[in-house]
Amino acid sequence: MFEGLQMLGHSYLSFLNFWSIVYGLGGALLGILVGCMPGLSATLCIALLTTLTIKMEPNDAILILICAYVGTLYGGSRSAILLNIPGTAANAASCADGYALARKGQAGRAIGIATSGAFTGTLFGVLCLAMFTPALAEIALSFGAFEFFWLALFGVAMSGSIVGEDPIKGWLMGCLGLLVAQIGQEGLYAYDRFTFGWDELSGGIALIPALIGAFGFAEVLTSLADPIERKIIEMRDSVLPRFREVFQYWRTVLRSGVIGVVTGILPGIGEDSGAWMSYAAAKAVSKERDQFGKGSIDGLMAAETGDMSAIPGGIIPALALGIPGSAPAAVLMAAMIIHGIQPGPMLMIKTPQFVYDVVAMTTMATISILIFGLFLVRPLLLVLRVKRSVLMPIIFVLCTVGAFAIASRLFDVYSMLVVGIGAFFLRRRGYEMAPFVLGLVLGELLDKSLRRGLVLSDGSLAPFFTRPICAALALVTVLTMLMYIPAVNVRLRAAWGGLKRLVFRRKE
Amino acid sequence: MPDVAAEAAAAAHEAAEAEAAAAAHARKVSPRGDFIQSIGWIALGIATTIVSWRMDRLEKQDINPYTAPGLLPGFLGVAIVLFGALMLYRSWRRDALGPQPVRLATEAARAETRRMWTVLALCIAFAAGLVGRGIPFWAAAAIFVTVTVSLLQFAERGARNERQRGILVALVIGISAGILITLVFQEFFLVRLP
Repeated sequence: MFEGLQMLGHSYLSFLNFWSIVYGLGGALLGILVGCMPGLSATLCIALLTTLTIKMEPNDAILILICAYVGTLYGGSRSAILLNIPGTAANAASCADGYALARKGQAGRAIGIATSGAFTGTLFGVLCLAMFTPALAEIALSFGAFEFFWLALFGVAMSGSIVGEDPIKGWLMGCLGLLVAQIGQEGLYAYDRFTFGWDELSGGIALIPALIGAFGFAEVLTSLADPIERKIIEMRDSVLPRFREVFQYWRTVLRSGVIGVVTGILPGIGEDSGAWMSYAAAKAVSKERDQFGKGSIDGLMAAETGDMSAIPGGIIPALALGIPGSAPAAVLMAAMIIHGIQPGPMLMIKTPQFVYDVVAMTTMATISILIFGLFLVRPLLLVLRVKRSVLMPIIFVLCTVGAFAIASRLFDVYSMLVVGIGAFFLRRRGYEMAPFVLGLVLGELLDKSLRRGLVLSDGSLAPFFTRPICAALALVTVLTMLMYIPAVNVRLRAAWGGLKRLVFRRKE
Repeated sequence: MPDVAAEAAAAAHEAAEAEAAAAAHARKVSPRGDFIQSIGWIALGIATTIVSWRMDRLEKQDINPYTAPGLLPGFLGVAIVLFGALMLYRSWRRDALGPQPVRLATEAARAETRRMWTVLALCIAFAAGLVGRGIPFWAAAAIFVTVTVSLLQFAERGARNERQRGILVALVIGISAGILITLVFQEFFLVRLP
């Protein structure tokens, strides 16, 4: 424990220098600007910055990316409050109450609450990141191929079930992501799968160009197809962070922090689920329940704390297991790999200092958003006045650069185009991208784990279901999927109700 | 009077938003749409399963048969067929084959479709047609941004009789964006551009 504290102290000290502070503040500022602009996601921001920082030192590059990640989700609350359009999907839960407060002439107060909620939520998440990452990595050292198979499958299934409105479409996207991940030379024998004789496909579909396509190009098409521009509500009151409300609603803050971290840890669930679950939980127990959706401080605080605490939550499994908790965490993981850092259980063995460096970076990001919540709020909002017809073509140029720069291949640009066009048309038909991203990231792990597991068990499927952790993960995966099928859900609820009646009748 | 006009404009704006949201929702949950898509998914699943089944089992390399390359892709193909079939059944239960609500294509919907295909064509022309074809990147980016901004703002500028000004503004934005992006990525951050 003391060794951990020592490494943590060393990490904090190492970032107290001029360039680290400049990189941190710069990354957060860029993130806030991107987050303010509706349609531009944290995933896209991190993906583009990964290419921009590819030649930098690993710690400097990851610092910029983490600060941008935190900044983007914080910045998204501003357009949610002032435009009633979430800057990122994670800020959707802030729209109702934030915008309602703005219409009452309290836009500044809403932004101040968003700042204090975001700061407190992220700080709580950082604490959990420092405590749980080493512990989870320790547990993961005992995981074998069987456990990693179920973890990967659980992540994709959970993401498909929870993200979006249609679980079947979610599972289909998860399967599609897993399938696309199989394209190219497979990891055991370098055999070309689904290349159809095309050499360019032997390297597979690279993750970052695919993500830029799904979250960048698809968003450019969506934004430009919809010509409706919204009017920004003017801010007349103070935007200073409201920490008095943090103390007044401390139960909401604590509950939302926990919910956010847990949803962040669950693979593929992400910050938007953290925000909505925190919002729903706050509404269920709040004394001002009838105010939710009409300008409730409790609601806004819950949404912002929940979505921001999910950021460090999503980084925990990425570092400890090599399984990202959200789409932006997936890009962050890809960036770490590009810079020579291998996330997973061995990270705490080979480079434990890096885990504490990430804790220090996330703390720095938290402080940065507080600084930008105190200063530069109004100037930064000028970016909301830039028309989409000007912004989106420039974003597409950046997407092209971002797709090309990773491996200097034009093929990656074409991959970005194809994935982006597919993502655009699929999104219009109600298919979500998060399960697809998770499938793309976890496809290789799932494939290798399945094949290694079968070799170890000599073809027997028994260990996949009888090992304790496997059994638990299999049960949760299957139950989660079954619960989202209405016919099964109704019967399970009826059976559960019958069981409860039986038990209580016996007790009487 | 100006207040009445502003209120009317705001009401029209909200109505247009609501119409667009309703059209988007209808596209996402349409049983007929789900029915057609499920057939596509089932076809993809069957094709994947067949290709996986026919993949080389690498017997000549004397590999463990449980590590055959087509194993997981085969499972995925079957899973896609199963989920596709589930969606097919669900859409049939929701009367996908029955009479569907008639949605007349409004002028707003036609304009949205035109914009969508225009932007798609421009982006493909830039990324596949201009980039990496011998033109300096800053010039390709400048051409793309200028043409796209001009086309997207064409109607709006025309209504205000500012077409020439609009093209000039688009040109300035395009050239500035092309040069700035090239400078920042290539010169400051040493990232290779196409």
